[in-house]
Amino acid sequence: MSSARTSADPLSSRLPVTVITGFLGSGKTTLLSRLVRHPDMHRAAVIINEFGEAGIDHELVAVSSERTTLLGNGCLCCTLRSDLQETLRELFVRRRAGEVIDFDRVFVETTGLADPVPVLHTLRTDGLLGAQYRLDGVVTMVDAVNAMGELDQFAEACRQVAVADRLVITKTDIADAKTVARLQERLARLNPFASCSIAVDGNVDPASLADIGPRTVAAQPGELERWLMPAGTGSKPIGSPRGNDAGAHDRAIQSFSLWFDRPFTWDRLNAALQALAALRGPDLLRVKGIVRVEGEPGPVVLQGAQHLFHPPVTLASSDGEPRSRIVFIVRNMSRESIAALFAAMEAIATEP
Amino acid sequence: MSASRRDQALAFNMRLLAHHDLSGFGGIGEGMAMQMARDGRRILWLAHESAPKNFTAVEVSDPRAPKVVVQTDLPHAKVRSNSLDLVGDTMAVAYQTKDPGLKPAGFELFDVRIPEQPRLITHFDASGEHSRGVHALWFVDGEFIHMASGAADFKPTHRNDDQFYRIVDVRDVTRPMEVGRWWLPGTREGDAEPPPQRLDPRFDSGFRAHNTNVYPQRPDRAYIGYIDGGALILDIADKAHPKLVGRWRNSPPFNGFTHTVLPLLDRNLLVVSDECVKDDGFDWPKLVWLLDARAEANPVPIATLPAPPHGAFAHRGGRFGAHNLHENLPAPTSWRSEEIVIGTFFNAGVRAYDIANPFEPREIAYYVPAAPALSRAGAIQLNDVYVDDRRIVYAVDRFAGGLYVLEMTV
Repeated sequence: MSSARTSADPLSSRLPVTVITGFLGSGKTTLLSRLVRHPDMHRAAVIINEFGEAGIDHELVAVSSERTTLLGNGCLCCTLRSDLQETLRELFVRRRAGEVIDFDRVFVETTGLADPVPVLHTLRTDGLLGAQYRLDGVVTMVDAVNAMGELDQFAEACRQVAVADRLVITKTDIADAKTVARLQERLARLNPFASCSIAVDGNVDPASLADIGPRTVAAQPGELERWLMPAGTGSKPIGSPRGNDAGAHDRAIQSFSLWFDRPFTWDRLNAALQALAALRGPDLLRVKGIVRVEGEPGPVVLQGAQHLFHPPVTLASSDGEPRSRIVFIVRNMSRESIAALFAAMEAIATEP
Repeated sequence: MSASRRDQALAFNMRLLAHHDLSGFGGIGEGMAMQMARDGRRILWLAHESAPKNFTAVEVSDPRAPKVVVQTDLPHAKVRSNSLDLVGDTMAVAYQTKDPGLKPAGFELFDVRIPEQPRLITHFDASGEHSRGVHALWFVDGEFIHMASGAADFKPTHRNDDQFYRIVDVRDVTRPMEVGRWWLPGTREGDAEPPPQRLDPRFDSGFRAHNTNVYPQRPDRAYIGYIDGGALILDIADKAHPKLVGRWRNSPPFNGFTHTVLPLLDRNLLVVSDECVKDDGFDWPKLVWLLDARAEANPVPIATLPAPPHGAFAHRGGRFGAHNLHENLPAPTSWRSEEIVIGTFFNAGVRAYDIANPFEPREIAYYVPAAPALSRAGAIQLNDVYVDDRRIVYAVDRFAGGLYVLEMTV
């Protein structure tokens, strides 16, 4: 028998979806208009709220129809239809029909609730979409000038930071260096598991917004590490934000990672996650993990938010780390109580 | 807005590693086999679709840099090779003539120990007054050739029914000998049974064999696409007396031409492909079917692979629809999967499907090359596909495009 893989890869066989969100006035418009023009965005589909927003000039447009515009660089811009589900469905159907480019990734701009939840929900409940797309990650834009005030004032702003896999700080050119440094520090406390970059005048490398999660079941340990704990985040202070700048909303949010020495069984893992989701779903802002499950040939990738979890994916081979690690970003819950829940589950399941 | 331009490639989870036009003779039939040469080179052998070329060998040790090793000629323009197979260093090549009664019609065995110098070992003659010779052959065990062939002593009741299933013993390569045959009752003059009811004349392609697959894991079964006769399972435990044990037909109401019956033996499934034989969507839909074969005598269709969209391809140029499948050859150089099916769909390219859940097959990858220069169809016409043990996908064009080497990233 040949050694090459003989079954489909549940990650690479699905189109990755990246959620882009940001505070009001965070420079999202500027960034989107730059992003869609970037040469590396050919074969990307970008779902935006309205065309005007991305500032697409006529000279950039190659072909256009009512709701979709193909830019000269090969990037497909698409306005949101009645809902995301409908839009993703239509894009997929038109892609297969050859009516639009065969895009290989999707960026979704969200307004209002900055959340992976609608995307997770759509992929979980719609059989067609779940078979064709997967959530890659969440990118949140934060503007250096106003963010400190917004984080103080709005719980929603803190939440947007907490759910992110990538944070992009904008408008650093018109903010003073001290404010930027304070903001970086505050974001790192709020969400130590997101990598943080700076975009001046909307300049951003699309590569920094894509391939956030593992792309294939053959993902290398480095790739997983980048997803779970981006470079440098390991050394950042972890735990509840208690810095000088932390406001009431910040203090409600805790971020921590738990290690588990013994492999899970599917029953035990499901029971613990279900209990958490049932009791405190709204406060589970983000859960990501690479866990060992008995009987699985490689580590299992977990990701979820609130009461929704992406279908877990078993990777092809072990990274040599025998322990499991789960990252939690939660609201008004302590590390101790979650650790105790998992410990209790294990005790109950394994007691003779 | 349409991205479905025939001059543009379409891709999903497949990446083009290399393209070779085969020195200007880029029309390939449905014979593809990979040799691991004694010096360690990987040689891909390709049978041409039509004259003047017979077969071409391409070194694909480095899939990014294919090199033609040898290319041979046919004796005249009214014969085609179309099909070949290889075991070790022995290659069998089919010969089919344009009209009955011509020669050479049959097959030849070559010693390809030195790929640059194929050496003819023997010729098996299947010519005859009513025979066009061999259209497709299957040779995987080094002992028997299973083939769709006419014969000198076979007079069909209808001219389209000239090729039937024949088994030839080649254990002595210098003296191939027929050891068994089977034809659909009623298709041979003198049969007690009446001739079969023909399809609509617009789609009548004949009651005759096409692919004749026999796997070493199940040596007592032949899985046969019998064109308008449907998918057949024959018991060949006694090669001298093959017996029909299972049959499934989709036509009518469909438009005939059952091409390949690929058994997934560990899962009791059959993958059955139609062949599209008309241009411009005339015989659409031509599909790939999944059958539950737990009860061999009653194969039941449970799904079709999601067909490429009609709107995008039917009028793109040339044929549009199913044709060949990667057949999980029992060779060390062949990739084998019971969960992923890969096939060619003429102008809709090469496509891969996840059938882990056979009730809900899912398209997971495709590559549709741009129209090759000088293609008479005006679009790509991918004809056949072979996947090697490294999971490299080789697809060939029917008319002009030659060889496309692809990496599947799914």
